[in-house]
Amino acid sequence: MKRRLPAVLAASLALGLAACSSPTDAETSATATGAPGSSAPAEGGDITMWVAGGDTPEALRQYLVDTFAEENPGSTLTIEEQAWPDLVSKLTTALPDAANTPDVVELGNTQTPTFATVGAFLDLTDMYDELGGDNLLQSFVDVGTVDGQIYAVPYYFGSRYVFYRPDIWADNGVEVPTTLAEFTEATEALTTDDMSGFAMGGQDWRNGISWVFANGGELATVDGTTWTSTLSDPNTIKGLEMWQEVVMGASNLPTTERDVAYWDFLNDGADGAAPDAATIMAPGWARWSIGDLTTNDDGDEVRDGMADASKYDIFALPGVDGGVAPVFAGGSNLAISAASQQPELSKALLRIIFSEEYQRMLGENGLGPANSMYTDSLGDDKFATTMIETAEASKLTPAAPGWAAIEGAFVYEELFQKIAEGGDVAALAAEYDETLTPMLNG
Amino acid sequence: MSTLPLRRRRPPRIPYLLLLPSLVVLIAALGYPIGWQIVTSMQEYGLAQQFGQPPVFVGLANYIEIFSQDQLWAVVARSIAFCLVNAFVTVALGLALALLMRAVPAAIKVIIQVCLLLAWATPMVAAVTVFRWLFDYRSGIVNWLLTEAGLERFAGFAWLSSPLTFFLVASSIVIWMSVPFVALSLYAGLTQVPQEIIEAAQIDGASPRRILGSILLPMVRPVLSVVLLLQIIWDLRVFAQIRLLQDAGAPVAETNLLGNFIYELGAARQDFAAASAVSLFVLALTVLLSWPYVRSLLKEAEE
Repeated sequence: MKRRLPAVLAASLALGLAACSSPTDAETSATATGAPGSSAPAEGGDITMWVAGGDTPEALRQYLVDTFAEENPGSTLTIEEQAWPDLVSKLTTALPDAANTPDVVELGNTQTPTFATVGAFLDLTDMYDELGGDNLLQSFVDVGTVDGQIYAVPYYFGSRYVFYRPDIWADNGVEVPTTLAEFTEATEALTTDDMSGFAMGGQDWRNGISWVFANGGELATVDGTTWTSTLSDPNTIKGLEMWQEVVMGASNLPTTERDVAYWDFLNDGADGAAPDAATIMAPGWARWSIGDLTTNDDGDEVRDGMADASKYDIFALPGVDGGVAPVFAGGSNLAISAASQQPELSKALLRIIFSEEYQRMLGENGLGPANSMYTDSLGDDKFATTMIETAEASKLTPAAPGWAAIEGAFVYEELFQKIAEGGDVAALAAEYDETLTPMLNG
Repeated sequence: MSTLPLRRRRPPRIPYLLLLPSLVVLIAALGYPIGWQIVTSMQEYGLAQQFGQPPVFVGLANYIEIFSQDQLWAVVARSIAFCLVNAFVTVALGLALALLMRAVPAAIKVIIQVCLLLAWATPMVAAVTVFRWLFDYRSGIVNWLLTEAGLERFAGFAWLSSPLTFFLVASSIVIWMSVPFVALSLYAGLTQVPQEIIEAAQIDGASPRRILGSILLPMVRPVLSVVLLLQIIWDLRVFAQIRLLQDAGAPVAETNLLGNFIYELGAARQDFAAASAVSLFVLALTVLLSWPYVRSLLKEAEE
């Protein structure tokens, strides 16, 4: 009995430990081979890159893997895809852990300041010029900059514009608006009990803040390092009230909707029934979910990407006094984990990503390249020109350290929902300023 | 006393040694995280600490801050109400189904049992997804049926948009998923009631209601207490169902239960210290809510 006990103990201890520690993946062994100690950087090593969501097409991933292997003999690159909703919590647990951290990560531009300010990323200042310097999308560089040091660089940008049904607009004698007030008028005129003139979920602040920006408003301002929520600013209030008018007057969607697949609303219903909405606002890639049904090479039923321009068309959201309204710029940043065991190989990967060839590949796939020298690779059709036009006027959310926490707690969703329900904008703005200011500062 | 031979006073060691392995597993798997939580809940521990800054000991400051927020108490009240309503409705429905199974012919009983097992075996995410589709405001069958039945105001009715109807849907899912366990457990308990006792009661002229109240329920009381206790504990910890429903578009702050509130504090706001403090509070709350039952169970075991 006594002789056997240690074995039992050891076994149960192992069980207990196994229940405790949760190795995220099999990367541990991979990182071990390239652990410090291997002094020569030319020595083979393995690095991991996390891409967020499916935005990076398969062909581009393969290009990165192949080119990396070619340029760094003996080393390999593994690309792992993380889902957007889990990204912040996965980065929070993986980045500080030297044994399990991904080496290069993609993360949303609004999530970047949160991690850059706590020192999660490697300082990239010394290679900034090599990657493209001032040609890189500056608003994206800014969110990755802390105390003048650059910790994250842009990956790609997207933009959003208006998709609409010219056939329905024409039937109702409504013309494409040139100002934001006309847009409200036009879409209200199109609204019936069965069809939204402009489909907009009540919690959808990512689209809604375009109205704030268009009126010269801001969500928050910074003085030195102290952030203040500025919802009560007269311009911000004007924008929120304008948004309230269009949502209440032209959208039949519930006020609690946030991540809406708006493109479903614009397409014809089953058997050619009228669509649920005459107008939507969405990122440029929504095009591929809009149009009439057709069959692709694999025999699957797909949308034709708005082939019939008399039925599906786009325009940039107009500004208050004409021109283009500043919309919220979507997009991603790239950074190297501060805990990476392979900083040199990680930097080598960044060099490939910022090469002209890869930047142009991004553009050809409809992703706005980080380096503005290669923006022409997006093409010159109306989708490309509208994307570039709106992206140039686009704005980012405040680069405050607490931003990811605010998104995680759905504070703006709550505010916009209450506005969409017809709440008093000035009172709500004052109330949420008080909630948001301490959260912004983390 | 001192005259007793020493070896008789020595407690037997082997039973304790046999307990040791499971004790070690328990300490490693439960003790460590709880210990970590207690320590963290008394520190300032956020994202900066996660990335290597030394945490600062702040004593009970996290608790004071959390407990002085109205938000926490709103969540606590909501969670307790949700937990008790769901636990009691689940047990009542489960009991009704168990009695039904006792009364129907074998073939129908098998059909009911298969249905219950299927409902129980459905993965939770799949179940929530199905309910989301059922209650979808645009294409959900619930709205369609209600509208067809002449209730026009349910055309395009958004169930998840107001807290009350949100919890109606959430409760449907939670109850739907937990009734099978209760029904099958209680049915198993009911089959243990000797048929002679019931026959004797029938001969004495007892009504079915009297048989239920005076014979069946007292005899399955141990099972009833255990399933009710488990339901209370499980329904207090409900998290994923609410989270998945919120993802379909809901007023998040007004529909958070304790689990969601902790997740929001920890995973979303990266305030691990506050999340730990609330977690420990929930642990205490669970013990408090279930203590009367545990005590009565212990008493029954002694008898």
